Amino acid sequence: MRVPYKWLQEYLNVDTSLEELCHLLTMGGLEVEEVEQWTAEDGGDSDEILMTVVTPNRGDLLSMVGIARHAAALLGSTFNPSQVSYPEIEQPVVDSERAELGPVTVEIEDKVGCPRYSALLMEGVAVKPSPDWLRYRLEAAGIRAINNVVDCTNYVCWELGQPMHAFDFKLLKDGHIIVRKAEVGEQLLMLDDTWQVFSPEDLVIADPMGAVALAGVMGGADTQIRDLTTTVLLESAHFDPTTIRRTSLHLGMSTEASYRFERHVDPNLTLPALARAAELIMQTAGGEIAQAALDAKARDFEAKTLSLRPERCNALLGTQIESKMIAEYLGRLGLRVQEGARLTVTVPTFRPDIEREVDLIEEVAIVHGYDKVPLTIPSHLTGSGRLTREQKLHRRVGALLRTGGLNENISFSMMHPRDLDRLNWPQDASEREPLLLANPSSQEQTAMRTTLLPGLLEACSRNARHRVADVALYEMGIVHFPTAEPGLPTEQQQVAGIMMGSPLTTQWNLPPEQAEVDFYYLKGLVEQVCQELGLTKFHFARADHSAFQADRCARLIFGEQPIGVLGEIAQRVQQAYDLPKPVYAFELNLDAIVEQATEHRQYQPVPRYPVVRRDVAVVAPDTDEFSAVRLSAEIRSAGGENLVSVEPFDWYTDTQRIGEGRRSVAFSLTFRHADRTLTDEEIEEAMEQIHGRLEQIGGQVRTE
Amino acid sequence: MEDKLKALAEEARQAIQQAADEQQLEQARIKYLGRRGQLHQITQSIGQLPDQQRPVVGQLANKVSQQLDQLFAQRQEELQTQVAEAERVVQALDVTLPGRAPRVGKRHPLLATLDEMIEIFLGLGFTVVEGPEIENYYYSFEALNYPEYHPAMDEQMTFYINDDVLLRSQTSPVQIRVMENQSPPVRIVAPGRCFRRDTVDATHCHTFYQLEGLLVDESVTFADLKGTLEVFAREMFGPQCHMRFRPDFFPFTEPSAEIALTCIICGGEGCRVCGDTGWLEVGGSGMVDPNVLEMVGYDTEKYTGWAFGVGVERFAMLRYGIDDIRLFYSGDMRFLAQF
Repeated sequence: MRVPYKWLQEYLNVDTSLEELCHLLTMGGLEVEEVEQWTAEDGGDSDEILMTVVTPNRGDLLSMVGIARHAAALLGSTFNPSQVSYPEIEQPVVDSERAELGPVTVEIEDKVGCPRYSALLMEGVAVKPSPDWLRYRLEAAGIRAINNVVDCTNYVCWELGQPMHAFDFKLLKDGHIIVRKAEVGEQLLMLDDTWQVFSPEDLVIADPMGAVALAGVMGGADTQIRDLTTTVLLESAHFDPTTIRRTSLHLGMSTEASYRFERHVDPNLTLPALARAAELIMQTAGGEIAQAALDAKARDFEAKTLSLRPERCNALLGTQIESKMIAEYLGRLGLRVQEGARLTVTVPTFRPDIEREVDLIEEVAIVHGYDKVPLTIPSHLTGSGRLTREQKLHRRVGALLRTGGLNENISFSMMHPRDLDRLNWPQDASEREPLLLANPSSQEQTAMRTTLLPGLLEACSRNARHRVADVALYEMGIVHFPTAEPGLPTEQQQVAGIMMGSPLTTQWNLPPEQAEVDFYYLKGLVEQVCQELGLTKFHFARADHSAFQADRCARLIFGEQPIGVLGEIAQRVQQAYDLPKPVYAFELNLDAIVEQATEHRQYQPVPRYPVVRRDVAVVAPDTDEFSAVRLSAEIRSAGGENLVSVEPFDWYTDTQRIGEGRRSVAFSLTFRHADRTLTDEEIEEAMEQIHGRLEQIGGQVRTE
Repeated sequence: MEDKLKALAEEARQAIQQAADEQQLEQARIKYLGRRGQLHQITQSIGQLPDQQRPVVGQLANKVSQQLDQLFAQRQEELQTQVAEAERVVQALDVTLPGRAPRVGKRHPLLATLDEMIEIFLGLGFTVVEGPEIENYYYSFEALNYPEYHPAMDEQMTFYINDDVLLRSQTSPVQIRVMENQSPPVRIVAPGRCFRRDTVDATHCHTFYQLEGLLVDESVTFADLKGTLEVFAREMFGPQCHMRFRPDFFPFTEPSAEIALTCIICGGEGCRVCGDTGWLEVGGSGMVDPNVLEMVGYDTEKYTGWAFGVGVERFAMLRYGIDDIRLFYSGDMRFLAQF
């Protein structure tokens, strides 16, 4: 809100600098973001404008008088509202729902939306431009001057905080105001020249012909004050915050009036505001008050009475503020306090946010100053803090991937379903049915991600656009899936990685093909993740996945359950993302891995006897049946209990050397006995068994 | 005979010592010490000497032979060392070439900052818990004392899946989930990803990280909140760094306080980053509202508590001098490999 300083000073005795006042307000709950130097457009006036930010609970700080009251409490100075003068008006005509006097009738149909509607009739006014002082005030406050009558109502809104409206009384059918819910499809041309169509949840001010204003938001064009208007009906009402907010939200209309009503306006302000506006109108537009005000109200609005225990106040704040001081602080805010073992506090209706003891304690803290509350360390902080098992394991996986050369990346949780088209993701996969956002903020991000790979591919692509061809990234994050049952969607922790080019080391003496990452590097990382988490029963199997290159993709399988995929990204995907080199990627279900993880490690005695090493090379058909893992299993089972490891060290296909459709795999075998040195005869016998087995299953042992 | 032997010894000694390389040395060995060498020839002729001369000359010959063998070995070693040294010069390394050890990847700066923040609270005895990123309306707002159709909802700018399911706009729902399942004392921090329908620019993003803290116990005070966060600020940015508390409004705390940190760019003097205030707003805090405690079934007379929520991006940007929030989500290797 724009708060012109000269205007504010009419109600506040300030003996500090403006800078000090702003600091005090900011530290006292009314943030002053900046002070703007303002000069009137015609140069006739200038002022300093405090730009304030009001928290949603403090509707009372949306007026000059409210700010002055609060500032005076903080300053310990005097609040001086005497500038606000009211003319004598006759005792109003009060009724619970239908007030009538002379030519005016006010009828409240919706008492929830409008608990109070006060109105005052003025005659003989002369509508014309406002005098300079009024125009300058409004201009400084950022309000467009319209004419003297409307300007006076706006002035009162700014001064006291009561939004008002002025009708040309002669244009109201039968002088009859009805406050009711709108009918379906009811329309009104508004003051801003837009047509609005209402729904039954909107509250309108109507005459017997139809709506003339949207309650608490904006008046209608047809009944507005015009140059020839002489008889004015002033509206000063109290509207329900929720009702106004719903209307404001669904019609997308936020006005100075709706902003205030949403934040609660003092229900007992309606009559003083009418009097004040009448006085200003008589000053600037002449005319006179035609008759007593009408005051239709559903009920009386009484001040609340609360009780406050000073010791509770100090116990909650950690302070030692004397009871007398507490009473003084509350008194400065305009609350009435009766002292005693408990303070009895009467809260006027201008502070609807104060409802409980704890609310009073906050007020005490604010006037006392948050900065005067001491700093203490909770004395009962015993025991140690912990990470959960999952958090610890996640950290280990991350550390391992970083050691493997991958940099951590984070990408957005939202995606577009067509991102999966670009990735050539299988059409029938569950990832194709993401959770959709009801109100996305961008057309690019309309769904929750079901895989981390689009984010990583996109990152890879961005790097390539920047001529960074060597990429190594991983991400640990949550993906979401809809659930059939009511309740929250499934959240699944995934880990994924991507590599392109030769990001692992400098290349100065390595041929590029040796420096570049490949499938087996990536697989090594995945294996180490599994080993780091103590998984044992996992294996890899060749897989078909349309995002990956055929014959260059594997699934990680735990028991029977697939828990991840890895491989070379399909060429068409590589092209779709405009990537210069082959890209390798993996994605694992980290939740599944963590669930199977074992942190326990059992010590194995370090061997005391030397090992014996032998090699065996076997040529076999180039098919899955003779996969390295199968051959190595055969060797293990044939090699006897002294064979402790079987590691492949060479793999090739070469039509000229070994013929078409065949491949050669060489294994390094390690033999060891726990209690003695093995003899040559034992080794030779084992090797014979191994050779025999490999020949038996259709392999050909090479012995050059 | 003796003289001849001595002359030969001298000659051989010189030949050995003057040998410039192993080839010359080998020639000298063959000439003097070899099976057909001159020393051998003299030794063979000792048998022809008179009886009394034989032992003397024999001893002398042995001595010369030993000395020359020793001298030969010595010279051979010298020459080998020379050669080795010469070779070493040829194979000298250019130690200025870059190393070839695998490059280790880096932790993301935002999460590294979050780790650092968590470490401080672990040290203070807080346990780390996590909650779902997609939440129910109840945990997000109702249980946090948000009235329906309240202006306080404006700043939440929530993404919805449907009326009841939404992307959490703050980590505060975790407070409720923890308190529903645990009696006091409660002492947790909850890190996590949050979402608001914000336009993305250099300082705003629809996705951000928060760290939530909650302490509920008997006689927990607002002063404790201030003290604890002050410790946090100092641990994070050094002893010259302080926290400022000023009144604010959150439906789930009362009293509520905005928390700001001494601007670490200007040290509180006022600069562009802090808008000349000397302070940087980093989050919100306050005493847990009794309505919230009541809703989870806590005795509000017996237990009090405080909570805070701070944004992680701000801390990370300050820590590393990062000026554009979008870099965190850029996936740019040139950015990520810096940390």
